[in-house]
Amino acid sequence: MLPGETGVYLVMAIISLLSVVAVYMAVKTRDLVKAVIYSALQSGLYSILYFLLLAPDIGLVYIPVAVGLIPGVLLVLISKTERWEKE
Amino acid sequence: MEAVNTYLLSVTLASLLVNFAISLYAMFFKPHYVKKVIALTILGDTVNTFAIYIGYRRWVEQRPPRVPVLTDLRPEAIEEFKNLAVDPLPQALVLTAIVIGLAVILFLVFLGWILYSHYRTLDMREIKRLKG
Amino acid sequence: MRLVEVIVLISTVLAVALLITVGFEHLVPSERVRPVAEFYLNATYNQYELRNYTAMSPEAVTAIVWDFRGLDTLFETSVFYLALIAGLALTRGLLLERAEKSGHGLSIIVRTVTRITAPMIVAVGASIGLHGHLTPGGGFQGGSVIAVLPMVVIVVFSASFLVIKGVTTTKLLVVRSLGLTGIGLTAIAVFLVGITLHMPAYVFQNMAKPDAQISMPYSVAGALISGTLWFFNIFEMFAVAAGFSIAFIALMLARTLESSRGE
Repeated sequence: MLPGETGVYLVMAIISLLSVVAVYMAVKTRDLVKAVIYSALQSGLYSILYFLLLAPDIGLVYIPVAVGLIPGVLLVLISKTERWEKE
Repeated sequence: MEAVNTYLLSVTLASLLVNFAISLYAMFFKPHYVKKVIALTILGDTVNTFAIYIGYRRWVEQRPPRVPVLTDLRPEAIEEFKNLAVDPLPQALVLTAIVIGLAVILFLVFLGWILYSHYRTLDMREIKRLKG
Repeated sequence: MRLVEVIVLISTVLAVALLITVGFEHLVPSERVRPVAEFYLNATYNQYELRNYTAMSPEAVTAIVWDFRGLDTLFETSVFYLALIAGLALTRGLLLERAEKSGHGLSIIVRTVTRITAPMIVAVGASIGLHGHLTPGGGFQGGSVIAVLPMVVIVVFSASFLVIKGVTTTKLLVVRSLGLTGIGLTAIAVFLVGITLHMPAYVFQNMAKPDAQISMPYSVAGALISGTLWFFNIFEMFAVAAGFSIAFIALMLARTLESSRGE
């Protein structure tokens, strides 16, 4: 099949392309709750990328902070203010 | 084969650049406060990923690179560790950068709540019109 | 319409990648690392050749964060503390923490499962934090994992459940200040010992240096603790967990001025 080196780089490239799509959807949608969910999806893909780039310390920080704490705080702010972005 | 490997690595770099551009556009041109904060988090994380990407190392003579953690504590294993391990210095600096970015985002969220309780809206064009 | 946008995005990325491959090949990682990195990888656990520069910890990243570049981490902790104090000062008059009757929360299945998994979260976070000098981990990673727990408890039970149980922002602020005091004391411990014994010693010193021959013990009864790194990790874990919890509780319980005046 593929040699091991090319396989690892191929997985990295696919995850990076998926994160570009997630960032574009987060910017384009007008419902703010969906934007927070897309941003959490992009952070999850970035944490897989950190693991593939051989940085497990950073991945261990990134998962509770950017997938759990930051969307939690932003969702509390949205629930106390408004949800839809006007034109 | 070498060209295919270089191309796949540069796909990662190009996607990080495109992420940077999209989040910078969103921070300037989207009028709602929470969307600007979301774009700021994406911007900070993309810059941290740049730094870790620079510290990566390719395969040396068909042997994969290693995490910068010593598992074999004998003195003769240090030489091979030095030849195979990934750069630990960008990871240490990115750890500090993540904490500082997180502190700024927490403070911005508090500030957003105070803005709403004064102006009753979080649309920055409305606030600019109502200011004073 | 959506498929066209995705195709345009992906083809932009692939075209920029082709441009980088052809013209800017020095931006892509190569097979060698920089000489600075080779020095740090050589010096992280090397008591035979580099006895005067080693940090006696097999984990290179923790040794750089707390020993070789410890001053950066000290100021980063204080920046986080400043942001937290600024956030609390903004909501100062509006923070109502009266112990009212606790609200509903979610259903009983969710509450029972949360009661079972809450100690597991604390155990995983403590394990990551205490083994920071041997495996990937450390104080900040363990503290963030433990800080997820108040968020889950506030969502599953109710916002006033924590206040009724006695966990207020004042007590958590005391825990955070104790953690920061512990970090400060560990940083000057070797310096104070050097003053009392009339030997030269540095602030933030971990192991013996060429002109300052005092060092912290790097292994206790056969287990490796790497001097000051273990103490730094445990104090940082307490400080970070308490800090995040304060921010979340303060944001959740703050009420606006009109509604608080009417009550």
